[in-house]
Amino acid sequence: MRYRKGAITLLALIGVALALPAMAAPEEAYRTFLGYDSRIAIWIIAELHLMFGAFVLGVPIFAVTIEIIGWKTKDPRYDKLAYEFTQLLSGAFGFTATLGGLLAFSLFGLYPKFMDYLSGVFHDVMYIYALLFFVESITLYLYYYLWHKMAKQKGLHILLGILLNVCGTVIMMVANSWASFMMSPVGIAKDTNQFIGSAWQAMNNPLWHPLNLHRFLGNVAFGGFVCGAYAAIRYLGAKTQEERAHYDWMGYIGNFCAVCGLIPLPFAGYYLGREVYSNSAVMGNNMMGGAFSWTFIIQAILIGGLFIGSNYYLWIGMHRIPGSERYTKYIKFIDIIIILCFAVWLTPHNLPLSAEEQISVGGQYHPTLKYLGLMSGKNAVVNFIILSTFLSFLLYRRANLGEGIPFSKQGAKSRWILLGIAAGLILILGSYSNYLFHLNPAALDLPADKAKYFKLPAILLLVQITAMLVAVAMTFMNRGKIGQMLYLGITIIDITFVLGVYGYIVMAVANPFLRNVAVTQWMTMMSSLVLVTTLDVFLFKGAPQVGEMTWGKMPSRSQYTLIFLCVFIVMLIGLMGFIRSGLRENWHIYGVMQDTSPGSWTPDNALMAKVVSACGLIFLSAVSFLFWLTSAAEKKAHKPDEGPAAHPKAAPPAHEKTARSRS
Amino acid sequence: MQNSFVKAALSILQNSFVKSAVFAVGVCAIYIGIGEEITSISGGAKTATTVAGISPEAGESIFWGKGKCHTCHSIGDQGSAIRAPNLGAHGSDFPLPIGLRAEGRAKEISQKLGKPFTAADYLVSSHYDPEFYVVSGYKNEMPVIWKPPIGLKVDEILAVDLYLQSQGGEPNAEALMKSPYFELLKKAAGSQSAATTVAFKPYLEGDPEKGKEIFFDPNSKTPCAKCHTVAGKGGKVGPELTNVAGTRDLPYIIQSILEPSAVIVSGYEPFLVVTKDGEFITGVKKEEDDKSITLADSDGQRQKIEKSKIEKMVQQKKSIMPDNFRDLLTVDEFHNLLAFLQTLQ
Repeated sequence: MRYRKGAITLLALIGVALALPAMAAPEEAYRTFLGYDSRIAIWIIAELHLMFGAFVLGVPIFAVTIEIIGWKTKDPRYDKLAYEFTQLLSGAFGFTATLGGLLAFSLFGLYPKFMDYLSGVFHDVMYIYALLFFVESITLYLYYYLWHKMAKQKGLHILLGILLNVCGTVIMMVANSWASFMMSPVGIAKDTNQFIGSAWQAMNNPLWHPLNLHRFLGNVAFGGFVCGAYAAIRYLGAKTQEERAHYDWMGYIGNFCAVCGLIPLPFAGYYLGREVYSNSAVMGNNMMGGAFSWTFIIQAILIGGLFIGSNYYLWIGMHRIPGSERYTKYIKFIDIIIILCFAVWLTPHNLPLSAEEQISVGGQYHPTLKYLGLMSGKNAVVNFIILSTFLSFLLYRRANLGEGIPFSKQGAKSRWILLGIAAGLILILGSYSNYLFHLNPAALDLPADKAKYFKLPAILLLVQITAMLVAVAMTFMNRGKIGQMLYLGITIIDITFVLGVYGYIVMAVANPFLRNVAVTQWMTMMSSLVLVTTLDVFLFKGAPQVGEMTWGKMPSRSQYTLIFLCVFIVMLIGLMGFIRSGLRENWHIYGVMQDTSPGSWTPDNALMAKVVSACGLIFLSAVSFLFWLTSAAEKKAHKPDEGPAAHPKAAPPAHEKTARSRS
Repeated sequence: MQNSFVKAALSILQNSFVKSAVFAVGVCAIYIGIGEEITSISGGAKTATTVAGISPEAGESIFWGKGKCHTCHSIGDQGSAIRAPNLGAHGSDFPLPIGLRAEGRAKEISQKLGKPFTAADYLVSSHYDPEFYVVSGYKNEMPVIWKPPIGLKVDEILAVDLYLQSQGGEPNAEALMKSPYFELLKKAAGSQSAATTVAFKPYLEGDPEKGKEIFFDPNSKTPCAKCHTVAGKGGKVGPELTNVAGTRDLPYIIQSILEPSAVIVSGYEPFLVVTKDGEFITGVKKEEDDKSITLADSDGQRQKIEKSKIEKMVQQKKSIMPDNFRDLLTVDEFHNLLAFLQTLQ
């Protein structure tokens, strides 16, 4: 079976390589897919390829991270978990490559003229892409198959894992450069629309890095949630308490990794959106205020569902932690805040009402709710959602811990680390504050008298710096918990309530400055995540544990929550792919090469939901098949009459010691 | 036997994987439901209508639709965009609507340039070269609308300018066309259009005879002649199509079939009438006088309504032409119909 997987991958790669010469001088612009709509066919194939791609790029990131944790803590459970994640990966890799080959064939076959243009720009890079794929597949198989043989050369094995991640990330970046070039082409002659630039120039287009960042984080979240669902299904079917404990823990880790990717994702999305707007105001406006504004409402529902689901899962998880009753009562308030924020987030600004509805509402826009649909309101609540989720994790982390060693007794090393991190944060916040104080309104095409509106965010950053100094000073005085809450509280007030409301004023009187307000909110929030986490590590250093962690005691609904999260992230990635591609409207290459095929119209959200669901179900079915293969192989490896097991025996039930290090 | 079958079925349903799969399918079904619901409340992808021709009405539909002007500009209380100046009378910053405001701007520019500059020059120049005059307090970021990706044609820009003139002022096409900037616009937009326009070709050739059958046969899945006339044969609810291929290009015809609400020909806009009795009647306005209005519905049925009984009358964005031709026709049938329409020169 191992060799078969490898053979599939290699065949797919050969397929891609063979497809490249097929770009010679096409006569026809478009062809149908076996008599059916070629656009739908490409949509489904590309979406499936992206889903598998996201999985095989996301999983190695945390597989290697977990392996490193296992190596450093010498806890075999981590190594087993990392190996189990990698097992899932090896099967998915073959599928990804096969779908990549199919996508290449389909594109060259169905859109010959467009691919002629695109391969004319990127043909050199396409060979590099294929070569990277070879390197990645070799690295993956070495990483997977030599896992146990290299048990004593763990450092070297981890290096292989890192190389695998580097290859995967570079492959993703190369593919992103093609997709982003289609959205923001550069190196084009204005008069003839012919490409006159270099391949590097085309790759390094304005949307390349924003897309890279967005996809990288998205892949981590995607991989985490899919692995979480795998663990959930295994948990639900587990026959022994030992198995349940293992898959409960695996599900937790999957969810944790996913949320780590999910937390910064809205900012990466904001960055991408901002650059989309900067590159083309038409595309940007179409995204947020035009044809895709309602698709973003669906996106808000999905992201809201992910945050609510993750928090709900954590809340249920608190019950397996002795001592958590001290904090459980607060979680429901956090969840209420998240639900309220979520409601604001999905409030649309523009209501395309029917005539009857317009008559009853009194216009195209709802008199009150229209304000909640504006960017400023959405920025405020998304920050609040993230901070609330962070607080959930914080409470979860300290759930069964008593008091830690007082900071004053932790030695000079702790003091210097804390001071160093605080100094770094102060430098970053201070620099941006200084920038805002000296920002020339003309740089934003604003008249000089608008400079007064730049002051409040700059002052608030100074307030944050002051609060940070107070929090650090309180930690030195062994009052770190109060300092932590003080900083978190001020952050929430600043970015949600003060800047959230101030954003409306800015939108009305100095609109171009709104993006700086959003950056201020983001920087403040990130500073809070970093400082509060750092303080938490020191506050609970050496803390005794209240009771033993009881892995494997989760109710079934918690596991269905993990499955729910997996389905939602699959739908989300499909929806985001639709938006990114759909923003080009009837252009293959935006503003340069028009899509004149009969399928160049923008599908509505109903069709989008159906196609994305179909892709999602195909993906989940295929992944389930791979999971089944993995578990079948595992069972075979465990049979006593077939020699030693292929990987370490099931780990002992988790106990409080490991519970600490996992969080 | 039956019992063992039921037992087997129950045991499958008890399987954790099957339960998880059913759950996942259920979540997908909810997602599809959300997509359907949002499409139904948002009017789908077809949220804007377009009226053909060079008129303030055509300009209005371009402003709120294809031209995407509304994504940055509002007009008074219409729209909510604030990125670019409001083009109606709005607050202390914009006491006059653009039709009147243009006069003041023209004076200001004239003084600056030291030569005559009319309100029409102001409107046309702002579309020929948006950087020519940037309103204080706003970013210099308006796209050139005759260039891709918006790529409006000269006639369409002229229609938009007429619409803007109508905001407080009098539409005057002659003044717009006399502007020296109009010539520049014509030249620039013409060359741009030649550079980016690609010859359009449908997938299949199609059989016009079979297409004619689809069009006229009252028992076909899409009996077009029920509403459209060709060579004196057919209904009068929708526009006459006798010379449609001579006056419209192929992408336009395809769009009209697949997305009938995307472009609604002037004079065929549907209206919703709410009577004082609470009755809701939708149809295309066929006749109107001082006392009554006559609407025709998609079946060609006409209904006369006394104006004294009308509570509200609102123009609809959604065409009364069915928008499910994509589902009703096969790919072959669609191309046969298209081939027939192409013969109508």
